[in-house]
Amino acid sequence: MSRLELVVLIAAVLLMAFTLEVLRRRRLSESYALLWLGVGLGALILGLARPLVDRVSQALGIAYGTSLVFGVALLFLLAVCINLSIHVSKLESRVEVLAEEVALLRGPVGQPIADPAPAPRPPGPEMASGRLDADPDASR
Amino acid sequence: MIIPALNEEETVAAVVRGVLDHLEADILVVDDGSHDRTATVATQAGAIVLRHPFNLGVGAALRTGFRYASEHGYQVVAQVDADGQHEVTDAKRLVELVTNGEADLAVGSRFGSVYDVSRLRRLSMKLLSRRVSRYLGTPIHDTTSGFRAFSHAAVTRFARSYPSAYLSDTVEALLMAGDWGLTVVEIPVQMHARKGGQPSANFGRSLYHLARLTLVIGLHRFRRPLYQRVEGAQ
Repeated sequence: MSRLELVVLIAAVLLMAFTLEVLRRRRLSESYALLWLGVGLGALILGLARPLVDRVSQALGIAYGTSLVFGVALLFLLAVCINLSIHVSKLESRVEVLAEEVALLRGPVGQPIADPAPAPRPPGPEMASGRLDADPDASR
Repeated sequence: MIIPALNEEETVAAVVRGVLDHLEADILVVDDGSHDRTATVATQAGAIVLRHPFNLGVGAALRTGFRYASEHGYQVVAQVDADGQHEVTDAKRLVELVTNGEADLAVGSRFGSVYDVSRLRRLSMKLLSRRVSRYLGTPIHDTTSGFRAFSHAAVTRFARSYPSAYLSDTVEALLMAGDWGLTVVEIPVQMHARKGGQPSANFGRSLYHLARLTLVIGLHRFRRPLYQRVEGAQ
């Protein structure tokens, strides 16, 4: 095993260990954990299977295996960034909707604020009528 | 009786009426951000309806339901699908298991009847079943069943913390019940084909969920417990 392979191995294992740890502390959702575990695994494969990388890059007409890895990594990170900004946009619009809901629940300024405890509301048609058409992108 | 519903305007009314006719129960429909008339239809059918401002998933809908049940002091809670897949008489049996004190969490398993699923789905159900059964020390065949009854103890616990990720709400909830020393009992139930709405999942998605749930189960005993909501906090 070359020194480079050892470095790659350690880096990938560290990434996966870190991912598992934040998942264990419930600071990362399982879907993102899977993504980063997959990245760790991918790095492991790319780092330890040089012949495979070289063969793929030759097939694609790329002279150096390393540039293939760089290219793929760059594209991947770009995709992750775009994905995250889409996610943030969705969260933003949800916060807006939530703020609107809170404003409506509190009622006009100057009037006593409704009991903040989640008090039982009388069941009835009024629950059904005050609807905000939320979630502009119904992507889920 | 909690019925989580997302865009089920065609079936939810029939389900609500079916339960009201055969069971002495209050029905809470949690409308998880539907884009159709689910909430209106359910209200007209005689249900109490709570509504999420946007779609949050079945787990979150249940959490809302558990909190409502807990705050209003309900002793037994059942969960039924809004699409008419479940039989009211089976709901009765599940509730009886809990009222008799035989179970804190009674699960209706759909393995007694013909159920049309893909090979991968079947395989993952088997895998999940084996691992969950081993963790609980009691056989559970249908770990993702959304047809369940909960005791007061279970409702109080779940009102404070309930997993919200898709399918985790059933699988991880079973593991949590095991951690809390609650008795989990499974019985076979009838299962109808869906009367409306669209079924979920394709191949890639199923694979992804299998991987995610395997991770959830494998890591469960080492993980910090899910966020606990303090009683009375806002």
